[in-house]
Amino acid sequence: MRAEEFTLAVASGKGGTGKTLVATNLAAIGARSGPVVLVDCDVEAPNAHLFFEADRRDTVEVTVPRATVDADACGACGTCVSVCEFGAVRVLGEQAIVFDELCHGCGSCSHACPSHAMGEKEMRVGDIDVSVPRGMGALTVVTGTMDVGQTTAPAMIRAARKRAEDHGGGLTIIDAPPGVSCSAVAAVHGADAVLLVTEPTVFGLHDLRLAAELARELGLPAGVLVNRAGSGSTDIERFCDEWDMPVVGHVPFEKSIAETYAKGELVVGTHPDVAEWLGYVTDAMWSIAETQSYRAAARQTAGARS
Amino acid sequence: MTTIAIASGKGGTGKTTLTALIALRALGEVKTVLADADVEASNLPLAVDAHESMRMAFQGKSTARIDPLTCTECGACETACRFGAVSSRVTDSDARRYVVDPWMCEGCTRCTLSCPSGAVSLEKGRAGSICFGEWEGGGIAWGALAPGEDLSGKLVTEVRTLAWTSATEAWSDLVLVDGPPGVGCPTIAALADTDLLIAVTEPSVSGAHDLERLLDLAASLGVPAKVVLNKADLSADGAARIHSLCERRDVELVAEVPFDTALAATLDTMSTGGHAAPGLRDIATSPPVEALWEAVACRL
Repeated sequence: MRAEEFTLAVASGKGGTGKTLVATNLAAIGARSGPVVLVDCDVEAPNAHLFFEADRRDTVEVTVPRATVDADACGACGTCVSVCEFGAVRVLGEQAIVFDELCHGCGSCSHACPSHAMGEKEMRVGDIDVSVPRGMGALTVVTGTMDVGQTTAPAMIRAARKRAEDHGGGLTIIDAPPGVSCSAVAAVHGADAVLLVTEPTVFGLHDLRLAAELARELGLPAGVLVNRAGSGSTDIERFCDEWDMPVVGHVPFEKSIAETYAKGELVVGTHPDVAEWLGYVTDAMWSIAETQSYRAAARQTAGARS
Repeated sequence: MTTIAIASGKGGTGKTTLTALIALRALGEVKTVLADADVEASNLPLAVDAHESMRMAFQGKSTARIDPLTCTECGACETACRFGAVSSRVTDSDARRYVVDPWMCEGCTRCTLSCPSGAVSLEKGRAGSICFGEWEGGGIAWGALAPGEDLSGKLVTEVRTLAWTSATEAWSDLVLVDGPPGVGCPTIAALADTDLLIAVTEPSVSGAHDLERLLDLAASLGVPAKVVLNKADLSADGAARIHSLCERRDVELVAEVPFDTALAATLDTMSTGGHAAPGLRDIATSPPVEALWEAVACRL
């Protein structure tokens, strides 16, 4: 039986493969039997909340530190410029200037400044919403929404996951952003397992490979879900065999599923077959995670003996 | 020379396929260089059957490393790090070992500055590749970001610079930028200083939600936008939603592309090692693509 606490990240290299479709429906199914937190970490294009109706939303602002300059104290020595790895500080004329959009808020310049001219301010980058959808059992939806024009997706994602932890304790499902960059890492790092959603097309396979590489490098137990099965003839199974990543199932390519999704509705309500089938995915992913950690422990023990 | 970006907030709306169709429609009329700005999942070279001719290393962010022999176990690095990248554990010999999680480290200098014994240093990493090749119509630049890397925006900028340089040298008229999903750092890099955004969307609540955010971004960057509704016949409700959104925001809906099984079948020829480009060329003369092409051509 699955343990009390389990964090499953739903990710993909390619965009639009069905991460949100899978994450929202897995969350709805899970919430029938225990507490579930669904965390939308696709902070640039968060869509999971569109599939639930909630009476009340708690919103908190997310801020990140950004460097500031006290012009009166600045001696234009350039120390800040030399310690900044991001090119976010430059000395122009008699004082240092900070470029907010390049600053990572690491605090190196304020630490290094000999005249204590470099300081910090808090800058708003987005919101985290927490809502309890109507009629969905013990489900909590946490949504991170980055302000348009901001570039701090990883910070937003970390904030959303931290907020989700406050409501955690049972099953946590993370709807990750597409891609394999720092944002995707921030969303899946530290999860118990990652479910890679793909489609049987050449694009789908190409990008699944990148996502699989990322999961492997992070040491994350991974399983694959083939969405729109039947829409193309690319052999996803063969790739998964080679990579020793189990295919935990398929969602068929049907216009009615696309229509349901387009309306902002869950397929668990309208497609009993899909709902029944998706019901096994979370447990399958839990088994994969258990097996892998068991194998890792066995390897470690064997290594210690030899 | 004109630079046109094809982007969408939501992933999987058909950016790459439409970019390939526009490029193939331009063949013989307009000299076009392509730039695949989705450096995390670059599929445009596959769609236009490009041959790689050059690959350069893309220098990525640094990562901190702690030398255990010099470390005095004071913990200053752990306190200093803003990103939670430094942690410690007690070893079998009762020493406290500080380690950097390279996946959390942003490569700033804070820990190196804080360490009183000089045990922390920064090491340069390789963040991916910048690639260039040829397709039927000319040059194509793309990027390949190493898994988990930062700096995708910077790589996008370099891919665009490479495409622009090649276009200038070849006297091309058009640079087509196939954008990444989202509205964050790589999308900003893909859209900045372009002459037109073609925002690709689909008839769904998610498509509408993300289109709105993308249009906000384009407005803030001063890039004019037009919309194309892909898979238009998948949902009548969804299509109506996009229509009213375009009307409300006074953005032109230049084309509606129906969900096309012939198109899907053409792309699927690649599954068995075939090339999609010849089949895509036929589809590139269909009326919806023609409407899309007119929106591009009137900018040249």
